[in-house]
Amino acid sequence: MKILSIVSRLAIFVAIILVLSIMGYAIFGNRIIIKKSPLVGYEAPDFTLALFDGSTVKLSDLKGKAVLVNFWASWCIPCRDEAPELESSWMKYKNKQVAFLGVNIWDDDANALSYIKKYGGGYPNGKDPEGQIGVDYGVAGVPETYFIDPTGRITEKYTGPLNGEIIDFYLGKALLNHDTDGLTQKDN
Amino acid sequence: MLKDKSKIQVFIVLSLIILATLISKSFSLSESIDDEAREISYLLMCPVCQGQSVAESNSDLAKDMRSIIRQKLEAGESKEKIINYFVDRYGESILGYPPVKGVNLLLWILPALAVVLGGIGIGLFLHRSKAITGQEINIGKVENTKEDKEYLKMVDKDLKDLDK
Repeated sequence: MKILSIVSRLAIFVAIILVLSIMGYAIFGNRIIIKKSPLVGYEAPDFTLALFDGSTVKLSDLKGKAVLVNFWASWCIPCRDEAPELESSWMKYKNKQVAFLGVNIWDDDANALSYIKKYGGGYPNGKDPEGQIGVDYGVAGVPETYFIDPTGRITEKYTGPLNGEIIDFYLGKALLNHDTDGLTQKDN
Repeated sequence: MLKDKSKIQVFIVLSLIILATLISKSFSLSESIDDEAREISYLLMCPVCQGQSVAESNSDLAKDMRSIIRQKLEAGESKEKIINYFVDRYGESILGYPPVKGVNLLLWILPALAVVLGGIGIGLFLHRSKAITGQEINIGKVENTKEDKEYLKMVDKDLKDLDK
C-alpha cells in the first residue's frame, strides 16, 4: 500500500511539473526569435523607396556602400530621440562609402514632412504606405534599423532608438565583416 | 429577315450565358481568395499583439500583413509559401500553432504524457482509498475467537437464568 501511495504521489507530481513546463515554455519560450531577426546574414530584400522630394531610390543601386535603413514614424517618441543622432552620424559618414535611408511607416505624409522639417533628415527619406517594405524586413515596431554591408547582406537589426556609438559600432561591423561568399537570399 | 432576327436572339442569349458564367466565376474566385486569406490570417500571430492572430488584430502591422497575404494569393502563391514568407521574416513565433519538430515536439507530447501520468496517479489514489475502506469493513466483520464464543455462551446462559 505504501509503495502504491509513493507511486501515485510521484505520478501526480510529475504531471504537475509537465503542465508547469508547458506553461513556462508558452509564456517565456521562443521569444528571442522576435529580437534577433531571421534575416540577419541574408541578402537584404530589395525595394524602391518613393522619397518625399518626389525622386526614388533603389536599394540594389547602393551596392558597394554600407547602408543604414531606419524605419520611423512621426508619432513615435523614441524616433524623435534618435533623429538628431542619425542626422549627425549621417553628416559624419556621408562622404564615405555609407548611405542612410529613412523609411516612414504607419503615418501620413503631412505629419511625416513636418517631422523631417523639425528633426532633420538630410539623408533620403521616403514612405512605405502599403507597409510592403516594413513587412519584407520583418519590422514589428518603430524605430527599427537594419545595417546592410556593401555586398547587400543584412549584418544586424537594431530595435529601439539609436545613438552615435551604436551607429558607429554596427556600421563598422557592416563595413568590415563582409565577404562576397555564401550570400543567400530569402524568398520574397 | 426572320432568320436574322432569330440569329440575333441566339447571339444575345449566348452572350448573356457567357457573361453570367464569367461573373459567377469571378465571384467564386474572389470568395475563395477571401476564405484562404482569412484562413492564413488566423494561422499567423500578430507580432505586436498579445495573443491575437493577424485576422483578429486591428494594429497597422496586422492590416499590412492581411493586405500582403491577399496580394500574394492574387499573385497565385500557395498557402505554404506565404506562411514561409512570414516565418522567414518574423521567426517561428509568428505561427499560431507550434510546428511539430525540435523542442516544439515537447508541446505535443507533454500534455498527453501529463494526462496519462495524472490519470495513473488518480487511479492509484482511488485504488488505495478503496483498499483502505475495504480493510476497515473487514475489521468490523472479524470472526469471534474460541474464548469469545465461550464468553458469549456464558452471557447467554446468565441472561436465560435471569429470565427464570
